[in-house]
Amino acid sequence: MIILTASPYLWALFGIALCIGLSVVGAAWGIFITGSSILGGAVKAPRIKTKNLISIIFCEVVAIYGVIMAIVFSAKLQNIDSKDLYTPSNYFTGYALFWGGITVGFCNLFCGIAVGITGSTAALADAQDPALFVKILVVEIFGSILGLFGLIIGLLQTGRAGEFAAAK
Amino acid sequence: MADPVDYCPVYSPIFGALGCTSAIVFACFGAAYGTAKSGVGLSVMGVLRPDMIMKSIVPIVMAGIIGIYGLVVSVLISDGLKQKMPLYTGFIQLGAGLSVGLAGLAAGFAIGVVGDAGVRASAQQPRLYVGMILILIFAEVLGLYGLIVGLILNTKSSGTC
Repeated sequence: MIILTASPYLWALFGIALCIGLSVVGAAWGIFITGSSILGGAVKAPRIKTKNLISIIFCEVVAIYGVIMAIVFSAKLQNIDSKDLYTPSNYFTGYALFWGGITVGFCNLFCGIAVGITGSTAALADAQDPALFVKILVVEIFGSILGLFGLIIGLLQTGRAGEFAAAK
Repeated sequence: MADPVDYCPVYSPIFGALGCTSAIVFACFGAAYGTAKSGVGLSVMGVLRPDMIMKSIVPIVMAGIIGIYGLVVSVLISDGLKQKMPLYTGFIQLGAGLSVGLAGLAAGFAIGVVGDAGVRASAQQPRLYVGMILILIFAEVLGLYGLIVGLILNTKSSGTC
C-alpha cells in the first residue's frame, strides 16, 4: 500500500506546520482588516484608537492558540530510527497530529477573519457614537469562541495519540 | 483459511480524523461567515438606531449555535477514534462529520446574508422583525438536519476488530 510507505513524521509535521501557519494567517488577516479601519476612522475621531486595541488583541489571541497547540503537538515528536518507526501506534500518532493541526489551523483562520471584520465595523461605529462600542464587542466575543472550539477538538483528537516510540 | 481482507487496516484513523476535522472546520466557517456578515449589518444599523442593537443580536447567536452543532458531532466522533479500528468505523465517522459540517456551512451562509439584510430592514420598518426571525429559523433548521443525520450515523459507528 502506497499510503503505508509515507512516513508518520510527514503527517505529523505537516499538521504542526499547518496548525501554526494557518492560525497566524487568520490572526494577521484580522489584524490588518481591523487596523486599517481603526486608523482610517481615527483621522476624524482620534479618541477611538486606544479603546479599539481590544479588537486587535482578540485577533492576536487566535495566533496564541496556534502557538500553544503547535508546542503541545511537537512534544510528541521523538527521534526514532526508520527501521523501528512503522508501528500502528506511530501511524495513529501521525494521522492524529495531521488532522488535529488542520482543525486548529482552519478554525483559527476563520475565527481571525470573522473577528477582524467585526472589529473593523465596531471601530467605525465607535467613531460615530461612543456608546455603541461595548454592544458591538458582544458580537466579537461570539466570533472568538470559534477559535476556542478548534482548540478543544484539536486536543480531543490528539489526546490519546502516544509519543513516537520505537517498535519493541 | 484466514480471511485475506484486512478489516482493521492501519490507515483507518485517517478517515475518522478527517470526519472529526471537517465537522468542526466547516461548521466554524459557516458560523464565522454568519457572525461577520450579520455583525457588519448590526454595526451599520446601530449608528442610526442604537435602541435596536440588543434585539438584532439574534442572527449572531443563531450563527454561534451552528458552531455548537459542529462541536457536538466532533466531540462524539473524537471519542470513537482509536488506533485499531475497523475501516467501516472510519468511513461512518467521515460521513457523519461531512454531513454536519457542510450543512452547517450552508446554514451559516444563509443566516449571515439574511441576518445582514434583516437587521438593516427592520431598523427602517419595525414590522419586519418577526419576518426576519421566521426566515432565520428556516435557515437554522438546515444546520439541524445535518446534526440529526450526523448523530444517526455516529450511533452506528461502533465495531470491533
